Parts: sequence; structure tokens; C-alpha cells
Amino acid sequence: MTSNNRRCVVSGLGVICAVGNNVEETWKNALNSVSGIHKTTSLDTKNCYADLAAEVNCDTLDDIECPDEKDRASKLCIKAMKEALNDAGLGDFADSSRVSVIIGSCVGGVLSIEQYHRHGKNVNEIPKMPIAAIASQVAEACHAGGIVTNVGNACAAGTISIALACDLIRAGKADVVIAGGSDSFASVPYSGFLSLHALDENGCSPFNHCNGITLGEGAGIVIVESLEHAEKRNAKRYCEVLGAGVTSDAHHITAPREDGVCLLEAMDRAVRNSGIKKSDIGYLNAHGTGTGKNDNAEINAFHKFFDEENPTLSVSSTKVMTGHCLGAAGAIEAVFSIKALTTNTVLPTLHYTAEDSEALKAKVGTMDYVQNTPRAKELECVMSNNVAFGGTNASIVFSKKPGDVQSQVAKDKKIAVTGIGIVSPIGNSKEIYLDAVKNGKLPESASICSTVTNDDYKELGIKMAFYRKLDNLGQLQTVSGMRALKDANFTVTEDNAKQIGIIVGTSEGGLGATYDFEELIAEAGNAGGSAFKFPHTVYNAAGGYLSILSGIKGYGVTITTGPLSGLDSIGYSMNVIHDGQEEAMMATGTDENLPIITELCQKMNVAADKVVEPYSNSNGFVVGDGSVSIIMETEDYAKSRGAKVYCYALGYGNGRKNVKFGHISGSDEALDLAIKDALNDAGVSVDEIDAVCGFANGFKKIDDIEKGAYARVFGDKLASLPLFQVKERVGEGRAASATLAAAEAALMLGGELAEENAYFIANGEVSKKKVATAGFKKILVTSFATGGSYSAVVLGK
Amino acid sequence: MANEEIKSKLKAFFMSDLGVDGDVLNYDTPLFGEEIGLDSVDSLEIISFVDDNFGVSMTGVAKENFQSIDTIAAFIEKNKA
Repeated sequence: MTSNNRRCVVSGLGVICAVGNNVEETWKNALNSVSGIHKTTSLDTKNCYADLAAEVNCDTLDDIECPDEKDRASKLCIKAMKEALNDAGLGDFADSSRVSVIIGSCVGGVLSIEQYHRHGKNVNEIPKMPIAAIASQVAEACHAGGIVTNVGNACAAGTISIALACDLIRAGKADVVIAGGSDSFASVPYSGFLSLHALDENGCSPFNHCNGITLGEGAGIVIVESLEHAEKRNAKRYCEVLGAGVTSDAHHITAPREDGVCLLEAMDRAVRNSGIKKSDIGYLNAHGTGTGKNDNAEINAFHKFFDEENPTLSVSSTKVMTGHCLGAAGAIEAVFSIKALTTNTVLPTLHYTAEDSEALKAKVGTMDYVQNTPRAKELECVMSNNVAFGGTNASIVFSKKPGDVQSQVAKDKKIAVTGIGIVSPIGNSKEIYLDAVKNGKLPESASICSTVTNDDYKELGIKMAFYRKLDNLGQLQTVSGMRALKDANFTVTEDNAKQIGIIVGTSEGGLGATYDFEELIAEAGNAGGSAFKFPHTVYNAAGGYLSILSGIKGYGVTITTGPLSGLDSIGYSMNVIHDGQEEAMMATGTDENLPIITELCQKMNVAADKVVEPYSNSNGFVVGDGSVSIIMETEDYAKSRGAKVYCYALGYGNGRKNVKFGHISGSDEALDLAIKDALNDAGVSVDEIDAVCGFANGFKKIDDIEKGAYARVFGDKLASLPLFQVKERVGEGRAASATLAAAEAALMLGGELAEENAYFIANGEVSKKKVATAGFKKILVTSFATGGSYSAVVLGK
Repeated sequence: MANEEIKSKLKAFFMSDLGVDGDVLNYDTPLFGEEIGLDSVDSLEIISFVDDNFGVSMTGVAKENFQSIDTIAAFIEKNKA
């Protein structure tokens, strides 16, 4: 049985969708088979072949603090969060470091992008655009002071958020996690799915007519709590959250694998990690979008996985009521699944005629696809599945009993860093980068970007048939990822493809591509979207392309929480390995500098107008970009394949003090907390740190926070502590720079970067001199995000 | 519009909108083969481009018409008003 300190329980639920504005209303309507799908009232449908959507009808979304500063996606999410906290008997958390927020989204602040582009380019819209705003604003609204993370895996993001919530609690990093997902209905996804001919003009008909999806919108929140914490406060307990499984198809950017084998693998991992039998699952809330490709792949996977041990499993898709709520889907469906479990009621898939039922029976055999009316059924465990663009599969189990959850089973294993891939504005390989460091290369202008060329593709054996599909972000990601695998001498084969996973960290992800798509349809109308370009708008497309190219079929998650995402990718990767999910992980940080990104930085008054260096007390930074990938694996695995080891990942930590998203001032001491948390996690004292790879970029507001925190944490030691700053060379490359700082630390510890210019701070004065790195044994790496979050990682010999 | 002009317009579209390298794209190169690697998403873009630029609908048209620039141009020639 799961030990008590690993048990995660659900103590509160919140939901808003087209079926209802709270859990009670939504559940009641669902039991009455009420669908929220109607003719859209919010979008232009001229020349569009489908005009249905499942829109939220709620006039109290603005009853929150500063509604003008929040996109609809944040407003939906905050509404669901408030209901869930109220349901759980929880309130304001006073910046407690034990309360985390993890929210999934697909299109994030896309309505704010549209508003900015079509209505006068108002600077106030900019902070509302990235997905990262959502979890930060949710945390701000309830003063959650723990880890704040957004998951960008498109339509599987909501499920992955709940899985990550449990991972954090089981790793001892949180007591309470506000987990869920949010997305709003908007022109970009509507036009995008139209261009793919993936909308059903008659409304989605999952597992039945399968002519396409109908888009919805909404948010779902699940309060996940450690059993210990819930018991201590005598909290309501809906159920346990058991194990989850996340895998990558390595197949196609929009279409699922027809054979469904990687979805099967996700379900298999969920069952194994839960320590239950397949036959314990009484109901499966399927992804069930209503496209032929999705539904047939799912039916295949369910047959293969359940036919033998659970042939009469009940299955349904609730999207026929809620529409496809994209990044919110997994969260809303988690709420449905938990309500099904606790009330012993399976919700149906609607709109089946007698003839349809016969046709379905021929496809699904003995399996119980519940149709038209709810079914009373004694349930012990339920499963919820979601899949996404980029080839992501996610499956999670909710249960009345504790199961036998497998987590932190590899906590004692040392994690080795064995490969580094660098794409940066000063060159696209580790060797070129090292040369640039040696030669003291600096940015040539205040806005710089990486350029991937055919030479990169040629060297890495990437064929035109593949690279022609990539957008800029995908180019950066695939080249850095393949270079990291090459550097680690890691060959992905059929045998090890499932033993390695990818976590991509990105600050803005597909924001640039989304803006590009918005420009297209603002001109051409919603009927004029591009099927070729639309997949690039999802934040996990870059990671998806890397999985397809490399063949990596294990864990695959994209986190998007600001620049620190490039360090959190390392922290979360360590946790995946410690959980025994994978033997190896690729942790990456990727962000791009398209002209629109520089425009947004300039409008926000954070872009420097000339080249500036760290600690120069400037009013802005050099806008940069890049992609840096790091291969991490258990020491045993590295040894077994004779890999060279740069260094070891010893620990990671986080800190948060809530300030408004888009701002950072006033959150200073949270960086102290992140550093102390990382040192504690690594079992390393302040005195043992030989150097810091930081995040200073020249912008006084940011650099002063770093200086202040280091002075408080390191005291007198600071004067002789070398500080290395990658942004002097590559500009503010957000997540890419955060991972690059870690890569530099690894290069120093691994003996490949023998000397480098370091900054020293003594009595507030900054000096710079060349330092030999050979004696370094432990290096601290730090990063930040607006909204008041900081992350730190400790690497050591 | 002359057949040659249609082909050259199609080629320019494949290069600018579908990222195909013009050096390896001849009028008879198989579009859905290993070298160019078009897939179902790309065919949606072809249909949309042909409709917008030549007023010819290729929705639901048999696969062999999409084989190469030559075959698409031939279909357009045959079906344009």
C-alpha cells in the first residue's frame, strides 16, 4: 500500500465551462445530458464551414482584483480556483512556500494577443499574452508562495498539471497544490482547427460520427493535498490521486499514432505507478475529441490494453457536452472523473441513435461505451486520458483506495550530466560557444538572435522533408536537442526510446508563432488560417518536433513559467529520474527573438537601446534567444553506456514572493529562499559553493535583486565569489539563457571551460577579472520569473 | 494562364509556404515521397492555395492528382473555368 507520506488526496474542486459555472451546476446539467454546444456568439464565422462552440456564459468573471490586467484565460482560472479553495475550506495562503500552483493551457492569453494586434497595440495587453501569466496570477490571487508552474502541452496540459502536482507533493516539495487548466475560445484556435478541417459542422460526435471536434472553453481546478496536511486540518477528501503516465508519440505534430501504442504506454505507466490492476478501473474518461484519427487510435489502444483483463470497462467522452476545452480539457475531465468516482455514476457520450449504437458495438465489442444517459456503477478507480498536438499522451488514475503508488523509488541515484547542446546568437555548437567565451565575444546589437542554417541540418543528418516543417522555435529546439544527444553519444533506439524523456522550458513558447497566425487571420478572416502554421502556435510543438526527430518516446512535458523555466526543466527532470520514470532526461530551455518579441520588449520599456552588460545599471537588456539542451541520466545508466560525465545535478530549489505578473520588484527575498532550498535539497552548505552562474542582464531592476540576495546569502564570502553571467554574450534569452547558465557550470566542472571572466561584488562595487575554473567543485545556478518566482540548481563534481 | 506559369506559381508556393528547398523540387519530383515528405496537413494547404489562386477545388480529389507539380498543374488546367 502507498505509504502515508506519499498519499495525495483531492480536497477541493472547481470548474467553469459551457455546461455550468460551478461544479454543482455543471454536474447537474451533465447528469441531465445537457450539452453546452451552440452557435458561437463571440467570433466572426464568415465563410467558415463550422460555427458551433461551447462558450462560457458568466457575467461575474470580472469580479476579481484588477480584471483589466488579466486575460480571459486567467479570469476563468481564478474563478474555478476560488470555488475549489472554498470547497476545500482553504483561503489566503500568506505566501506560504508549501502551497504551489500548476496550471495547464494551450493558447493562454491569445485573446490579449488579438486585442493588442487589432486595437492599437496597447502596452497593457502585453503581460497578459503568455501562458505564464495564468499560474502566476492564480498564485497572486490566493498568495500561494510555493512553486508556480505552467504546463504548455496543449490539450494534455490539464492532466499533466495534476500529475506534476502529485510529483511535487511526493517529493516533499509541497503540501497543497492548486492544479488544473484553463483556456478561452478565440479566433486563433477556431481558425486553426478550421484550416485543419478538424471541426465538425454538426457538433462533435465522439466514437460515433467522428467528423471533427467542437471547441469549448473553461477552466478546471483540483486541490491536491498531502494526506498528512489534509488530515491535520480535518479536510474534506474526495479521493486519492494515484499514478500517472506521460509519453511521447514521436510520430506527427498534429496526428496521433494510429496504433495508439504510446497512449497505451501512458496508460500502462499510470496503472503501474498506481500499483493497481487494470481491472480495478471501472470508468475511463477518454480524450474522445470526435476526430476519426483520435477516436480510432483510442479505440485501438483501449482494445489492446483492456480487452484481456477488463473487457467490460465503461468509457465515455464528456467533450460532447463541454466541447474541447484544450488545455482546460484534462482539468475539467478530472473534475468529471472525480465526481463520477465519488457518486458512482458514469457520464455518457451523447447523441447516439439505435443505429449509431449498433455501429459502435461492431467497433468496440464488449467494452461498455456509455451512451445518452448516465449509468449507475460501483466504482473503485477511474482513469482520465488526454492527448495533444506534439504527440503528448497523458493518463492519470483517481481512486477511493490508496493503491500502491510508485514514487521517488530512485531518490538515492546520482544524476550525471552527460551531454550539452548549444544554439545561441553567437553560434550553434558547444565548440563555437566555448571559442566565443575564450575570445570575449559580445553582442553586436541590442537585439540579437540565433540563426540555424542548412549546415546545422547537414551536420546532424536532418533531412529537408523534416526541417521544412519547422518554425523558428522548432529549428532552435531540434538543433540544440540533437547536438546534446550527439555530445552525450546517446543513440536513441527502439530499446531505449522509452527510457529517455524531454522537458522543455520556455518563457514565451509559441507566442511569436501565435502572433504570426493572428496577423494572418486578421487579414484573411477566420476562414483563411494556415494548417501548416497552426501547429506552431502550441507551446509544446518545439518539444514535439524534437521527439519526432530523435525518436524519444518517454516523458515529454513543456513548462512555461518565464526565464526560470530553463532551470525548472532541470529540477523537474531530476524529479522524473528520482521517481524512476526514466533513466535519462533531456532538460532544455528555448526561447526565440522574432521581431515581434523585440517589439513587445521595447513597448514594455525593458529592451536596452544599445549593447549593455550585466551590472551596468541600465534601463533595459539586450534581447536575445537560443536553445540549450542538457542530457541528464542516472550514474548507473551513464556508466553502463560508457558516457563521459561533466558533473552531477545535486539539488534544485524554488522561492516565491507574489508580485504582479510582469513585475519583479519587491520579490527580492524569494531568491534567497530559492538558493537556500536548492542548497538544502543538495545537502550542500553556502561555504561549499565555489561560483555562481546567475541571471544578471544589465537591467538594474533585475540585477539589483540578484546582488542583494547574494549579499544576504553569502555574506562576507561574496567579495571573493566569482559570478558568471552568460547574458553578457547572448543577451536576455530567457529560458535558453537559464539553461545556458547551467550548461556553463557543467562545462566548468567538466574541465571544458578552463577560464572565464567573472564578476565580483564587494561593498556594492562590481569588478571583473579572468578566473581559472579548475578548482571548482560546486556551482550554484539561479534564474527568475516575473510575478516573483526564482529557481536555483546546484551542480557539482 | 499558361501551364508553365501555373507550375512556376506552384513551385514558388511550395518553397515559401511549405518550406521546400527549391533546389531539389522539380516539376516531376514526387511531393509525398521521402525527399519532400508532404503529408495530410500539407495537402490541406495545397487545396486552399489552388482554390484561392486558380479557382479550382481539389477537395476530395483522388490522391494521384497530388503526386507532383506536373499532376496538380494538369488537374488545374483540366478543371479551370
